[in-house]
Amino acid sequence: MNTMKWLLRREFWEHKGGFVWAPLIAAIIMVVLVGGVVGYGIASGKMHGDSITIQVNGEEVHNTSVAKVVTPEKRADMARLAANNYIAVGAPIFVVLPVVAFFYCLAALYDDRRDRSILFWKSLPISDADTVLSKLVTVLVIAPLITIGVATAAALAILFFGGIAASYHGVSLFGAVLTNINFYLAPLYLVGMLPVYILWALPTAGWLMLVSSWAKSKVILWAVGVPLIAAVLLKWLDFLLGMTSGLTINSGWIIHHVLETILLGLVPGTWFMNAGGELPMPTHTGVDMLTMLGYSWSTLAKPALWTGVLAGVAMILGAIRLRRWRDEG
Amino acid sequence: MSAVISARGLTKRYGKQTAIDGIDFDIPAGRIVGLIGPNGSGKTTTLKAALGLIPFEGELTVMGLDPRTQRDALMQDVCFIADVAILPRWLRVMDAIDFVAGVHPRFDRTRAERYIANTRLRPTMKVKEMSKGMIVQLHLALVMAIDAKLLVLDEPTLGLDIIYRKQFYQNLLEDYFDENKTIIITTHQVEEVEHILTDLLFIRDGKIVLAASMDEVGERYVEVMVAADKLNAANALQPLDQRTVFGKNVMLFDSARAGGVSRAQLSALGETRNPSVADLFVATMKGTYA
Repeated sequence: MNTMKWLLRREFWEHKGGFVWAPLIAAIIMVVLVGGVVGYGIASGKMHGDSITIQVNGEEVHNTSVAKVVTPEKRADMARLAANNYIAVGAPIFVVLPVVAFFYCLAALYDDRRDRSILFWKSLPISDADTVLSKLVTVLVIAPLITIGVATAAALAILFFGGIAASYHGVSLFGAVLTNINFYLAPLYLVGMLPVYILWALPTAGWLMLVSSWAKSKVILWAVGVPLIAAVLLKWLDFLLGMTSGLTINSGWIIHHVLETILLGLVPGTWFMNAGGELPMPTHTGVDMLTMLGYSWSTLAKPALWTGVLAGVAMILGAIRLRRWRDEG
Repeated sequence: MSAVISARGLTKRYGKQTAIDGIDFDIPAGRIVGLIGPNGSGKTTTLKAALGLIPFEGELTVMGLDPRTQRDALMQDVCFIADVAILPRWLRVMDAIDFVAGVHPRFDRTRAERYIANTRLRPTMKVKEMSKGMIVQLHLALVMAIDAKLLVLDEPTLGLDIIYRKQFYQNLLEDYFDENKTIIITTHQVEEVEHILTDLLFIRDGKIVLAASMDEVGERYVEVMVAADKLNAANALQPLDQRTVFGKNVMLFDSARAGGVSRAQLSALGETRNPSVADLFVATMKGTYA
C-alpha cells in the first residue's frame, strides 16, 4: 500500500500542471473576470446610479428601484436558485478535466517508454499492475476530486461577487443562501457522483491506456484513428449488406454506443446525455441536485454501463500485460 | 553457494536476427563480473533477459527465480542501471530520494544523501536542469544506496568525466561490494574496470568466447616482448595476436590452448607479462567488424 502512495505522489509530481494548474488557471480567470465586472460596476457607480435603467418584467425601472421590484418571494427564489446551483458556475472547469485526462491517459504508458525512463522505474520493485493502477486512480479519482475542489472554490468566489452585486442593488441574498442546506451539500453531491463517473469513464480510460501501452509511436492516431476507421468500415459493410440482401448490422447503433463509450467517457456527466425525460426539469429555483444524484446512481442499473466496465477492466489488464514486455520505443 | 545467474541454452531472436545464440554460463555469488563485447554482440540483450525485461528461449535463473514469470519477486533483490542512464525530466533530486526510499525496502537514504553531497547536485534541482554527467551521478547515488544482492551496471559511467568515474569504481569496490553481493558490469572503458573485476565474460556475435576468473586469465594468457632475433621462433608458436609497440613486437599467447606453450618456454623469447584485459579483448575480437 505504501508503494501505491508513492506511485500516486509520483503521478502528482509529473502532472501537477495538467491536474492542478490547468483547472486553477481556468478558475482564476473566471473569478477575476466576474470580480472585475462587479468591481468596475461598483467603482464607477453604475450599480446604484440613476443613469442606467434596466428592464424588469418588461417595464423599465430605475436601477435604484430594483430592490422595490424584487418582492420577498422573488428574493427567496433567487437565494434558493443560488444555493442550489451556484456550483454550476464552475462548469467551464469541468470542461478542462476531460481534455487533460484524455491526453494524460494517452501519455501515461507511452511517454516513459519514449524517453526510456521506464528502465529506471522498472529497476525498482514496482509491479506493472501497481504502475498502471496508480495511473488509473490518478485520472479517475484524484484528478476529478481536484477539479471538484477547484470548481467549488471558484463557484463560491463568484457567488460571493454575485451576492455583493445584488446587495448593491439593495437585495441581500447572503443570509438566505447561507442558511440553505443545499449550499453546503452541493460539493458533496458532486463527490457523490464520482463513483458513477468512474464507472462510465472506465472504458475510455481503459482503451486509451491500452493504446498507450501498446503503440510504438503516434499514440493519438491509433487511439482515435482505429475507432473512426472501424466506424467507416462498419458503415460501408452495412451499406453493402443493405444493397445486396436488405439486412443490416445496425452500424449506426454500434458506432454511436461504442465510439461514445471508448472516446468520450472521460467527459463528466455523459450518463445524462441519454437520459431523455427521466431528468428533472429545471424550475425557477434551479435543478434539484439530489434528484440529479439519484438519477446518476440509477444509471448503474443499465446493462450498457456494465458492458463498458467489463471491457474497461479487460483493456486495463491488457495494458498491464503489454507493459510487462514493452521496455522501450 | 549456488550460482546467482545460471544460463543454459539462452537464446534471444529479434525476428530473423539472433541476438544471443544458445549461451551457457554461471555467475557465482560474491563476484564482480565484466561482461565485455563489441557493439551489437548481445551484452545488453543478455542483461535484459536476466532482468526480466524481455522474453527469451532456453533456461535462465536469477537467484533461483525465472525472470520471465517471477520478476516482481526478483526485483526485491536486484537493481540495475540500463545502458543510457535516463531519468524522467520532471524529477527533482529530493523527490527521487523520497520516492526510492518509499518504494524500496533496501534503500539507505543517508547513504544516497552522502553520495549526492559529493556532487554539485542540489535537492531542488530537476533532471531537466542537469548536465548528462549530473543525471548519471544522481542515478548512481540512488542505485548505490540500494543494498541489492545483484547489481547490474550497463555502461554505468557513460558521460562522466574521468575523476568521477575513478571515484565511482572506488566507491563501488570499497563501499558497496561485499562477499554477499554480485555485480555485473558492461563497459567500453575496459581499462577502468579491470582492476576491480574478479571474472571476465567475453561475448561475441551472441556467443560466449571467454569465461574465466581474472586469476585464470592471468595464468593462461601471456604477453611477450619478443626480441628481434627470435621473431621466427615466436611466430612458429602461433601467437593469438601480434602488434608493434615502439618498434618492438608484442605477441599474445594462450598457454592453455592445445599444443600450447609454457610460460618458461615463452620467457626464453623475451620479457613476459600479463596482458591487459583491453589487449586480450582486442585480440579475441579480431575480425569482428570485418
